[in-house]
Amino acid sequence: MNRRNFFAGAATAVAATTASRVSMAALPEPVMQSSTATAPPLAPPNGRPYNPVVTLNGWTLPWRMNAGVKEFHLVAEPVVREMAPGFKVNMWGYNGQSPGPTIEVVEGDRVRIYVTNKLPEHTTVHWHGQRLPNGMDGVGGITQPHIPPGKTFVYEFTARRPGTFMYHPHADEMVQMAMGMMGFWITHPKESHPLIEPVQRDFCFLLGSFDVEPGSATPKVNTMTDFNIWSFNSRVFPGIDTLNVRKGDRVRIRVGNLTMTNHPIHIHGHEFEVTGTDGGPVPRTARWPEVSVDVAVGQMRQMEFIADEEGDWSLHCHKAHHTMGPMGHEVPTMIGVDQKGVVDKIRKLVPDYMVMGDKGMADMGEMEMPIPDNTMPMMTGAGPFGSAEMGGMFTLLKVRRDQKPGDYKDPGWFKHPAGTVAREVPGASVPPAPRNAPSPGNSSNTDATVRKPSGAHNH
Amino acid sequence: MNPFVRRQLAGPPHCRRSSGALFKRAAAFGGALVLAGCASLSPDGGTADVQALVGNNPLMAGTTAQRVPDEASQKSVDALLAKPLDAESAVRIALVNSPRVQDAFATLQISDADRVQAASLPNPVLSFSRLAQGREREFERMLSFNVIGLVTLPWQARWAGQRHEAAKLQAAQSVLLLAADTRRAWVRAVSAQQSVVYLRDAKDAAEAGAELAHRMAQVGNWSALQRTREQLLLADAAAQLARAEQTAVATREQLTRLLGLGGERIGYTLPDRLPPLPKSAPELGDVQALALRDRLDVRSAQAQNTAVADSLGLTRATSVINAMEIGAVRNTTFENDADRSRSTKRGFELDLPLPLFDWGQARTGRAEAQYMQSAARVRDVGVLAASEAREAWQGWNTSYALARRYRDEVLPLRKKVNEEMVLRYNGMLASVWELLGETRASMLVVNAGIEAQRDFWLADTDLQLALTGSSPGGMTALQTATAGDAPAAGGH
Ligand SMILES: [Cu+2]
Repeated sequence: MNRRNFFAGAATAVAATTASRVSMAALPEPVMQSSTATAPPLAPPNGRPYNPVVTLNGWTLPWRMNAGVKEFHLVAEPVVREMAPGFKVNMWGYNGQSPGPTIEVVEGDRVRIYVTNKLPEHTTVHWHGQRLPNGMDGVGGITQPHIPPGKTFVYEFTARRPGTFMYHPHADEMVQMAMGMMGFWITHPKESHPLIEPVQRDFCFLLGSFDVEPGSATPKVNTMTDFNIWSFNSRVFPGIDTLNVRKGDRVRIRVGNLTMTNHPIHIHGHEFEVTGTDGGPVPRTARWPEVSVDVAVGQMRQMEFIADEEGDWSLHCHKAHHTMGPMGHEVPTMIGVDQKGVVDKIRKLVPDYMVMGDKGMADMGEMEMPIPDNTMPMMTGAGPFGSAEMGGMFTLLKVRRDQKPGDYKDPGWFKHPAGTVAREVPGASVPPAPRNAPSPGNSSNTDATVRKPSGAHNH
Repeated sequence: MNPFVRRQLAGPPHCRRSSGALFKRAAAFGGALVLAGCASLSPDGGTADVQALVGNNPLMAGTTAQRVPDEASQKSVDALLAKPLDAESAVRIALVNSPRVQDAFATLQISDADRVQAASLPNPVLSFSRLAQGREREFERMLSFNVIGLVTLPWQARWAGQRHEAAKLQAAQSVLLLAADTRRAWVRAVSAQQSVVYLRDAKDAAEAGAELAHRMAQVGNWSALQRTREQLLLADAAAQLARAEQTAVATREQLTRLLGLGGERIGYTLPDRLPPLPKSAPELGDVQALALRDRLDVRSAQAQNTAVADSLGLTRATSVINAMEIGAVRNTTFENDADRSRSTKRGFELDLPLPLFDWGQARTGRAEAQYMQSAARVRDVGVLAASEAREAWQGWNTSYALARRYRDEVLPLRKKVNEEMVLRYNGMLASVWELLGETRASMLVVNAGIEAQRDFWLADTDLQLALTGSSPGGMTALQTATAGDAPAAGGH
């Protein structure tokens, strides 16, 4: 698993601001990001105070306060996003990364966002979920002219209600979202809110899906359903940072779905409540405990819970295919097919041929065979006990008693108290299961085999 | 008649000296005898001249064609057959062992005999008759010979010589064609054998796919449809292999025939692969000029044309009087009367056809037409040679570029596709059947590459033949170009 220094990204962002060429101009200097590390929460330097969020493998966009108006500058541009170490994808994003930076404001803030288009085609930005003047809604051709390449448009409105929002293009939307253009928006409550509790840790990430042909680097923009890259904030396991919290912290996780399918987001070891949706805070009477919440297409959900169980708890989409790297969806099931005798013949023609899948696909997580360049293995990653056999939308919630408040560093693998890890029962070995059950047609043998899985040929 | 004889004797220079003593006697018969003895069969039937014509030709692989196989040549054949047979060795074997070479040399020898025959005097005719009238008996004896035959002897000898020269050119073409045919057959046999290897691999790939498909269906992972599709691929691959194997047999037999091999010798081995392509194209200059200068069929047509032109003169000279016989007559009459007297009459007899009806226009017209025909053939062969030179050169370049494209581009790309498919298989992004399908496709591309290489070497042989030897189209065109019936001297 990839562990990153949370502060590396912030340094880069600050460095970028110093290279100012347009600071004298009317536009705020755009702040760029070159790191994929999770930036530390950005404490607001001015304006109303709030408790900032942490964007998983992302960052919050600094602003300029201009006569009481918070001014942001988004630059829509092609980027190369490292989705996991060694796996780089040509995307479109904002200010150096996909997703774009998180915009954090406070309820009632007057917000002015400059959008510079460095894409080869026009774009717009739609402020998903916001109450705003219709002409600020960002729907190209409907509520505004498109932003042509090379031009800067400005959006201005007041952040009227607190909650979780997203932003994304509403111009050539299918292509631009398939290329990774999206970002998070948080509007913090201006004062204590009866339905919004203060939390110690507030994480957010967007669900993304891409179709990157193995061995290539650019998403196929015309794919509708058969995606092979499932991401949290345009990162895939084992490239997604872990959510590191202190035991007893109240934790909020905000998730937005900009893919074209639903994702049941599931947390191990804790029950949570959905305290907010894209429509705002959920009345207490409408909340119930659960361990998975389906985030439908275009939706946002805020899950909240007290992290009171120590350990490394999985946090993932519950669609098994979404916790996989790219795989051949047409590859037939090989389970039970003995390749004895055939494998030599194939090796004569294809010397590097290895038998795979005849016992299942777990081999894949352990074998490290060469695969196409710039391609994630179908299942990968390793933990303290072996291979994780995962990919895509998968990360960990790490709960530690000694994690300092405000410290987001990865504490490493959980040290289990003695006797609390599943273990082998000594002296209880059985022969391995037969390679395959008797064929359904061979019913006379089925009973015997089922009763005697040792496969002793005495029936 | 002496002047005729003298002229005849004045012909071949080596005869003049040896016949000096007899010349004083000026005996016509004696002269004829000398003449007949002088135009003798050449000991090798012209083989050496043929070898001189083809010796430096690149098609010959530096070998000499053998008129009659001898023990030494058979030993060399066995030695060559002991190793995998390369193209040069195949040509060497064909040139000493092929019945076609022996046929060509025998034909040349026949031509040599014809030449000697044509230069021989016609035999004199002895007539004898006995007549009775009452008691009177008359014996008539006449020794006669064909004067026209004698008169035209020098010409006839010369045409026969010219015909023999043409026959040498033809034999040389036969030898070159055999060398070229052998090279082409060798190229085809080696490439067919190579194809079999790759198509066998393709079949093995299909076999593995079908076997796995069978096992997939057995354990319930696949339907009958999926399994059957893989079996179908195997059946197709097997059919392709069978065809390739038959082609290998057929092309090898073709080579065996050209090598003139039988018995245990047919078990020779061929190399695994065709020779690599040359590094670059040769600098040939004007290929048309080369062909017109060097091609044996062009030279043969020209020689033929000269001979026909010569014959035209004779036909004109003999168009009126085309037969004349002169005979010495001695008649003895026995009276068988009381005094048993006998009388002898001596004299000569001359048969001379009177040109009343046949003034020879037909013969002259025929000869002139033959000349026109032969001149047309020279032009025809010239046009053919120049065109074939252009075509063969273009063919060489095209097949060279094609074979190189396969070698330098298609096959490496194909290999890369295979490697990428292995990577996809490793990543469980592709199935073993896709991998095997790619392997099969790969073998077919390798096979296409072999065919391109084969076509190049065929074009290479065609080019050499078209520039230096004869029409690569084969002997048919050659025969058409040189088939001119030798001018019938005097028309009888
Ligand atoms: Cu999912």
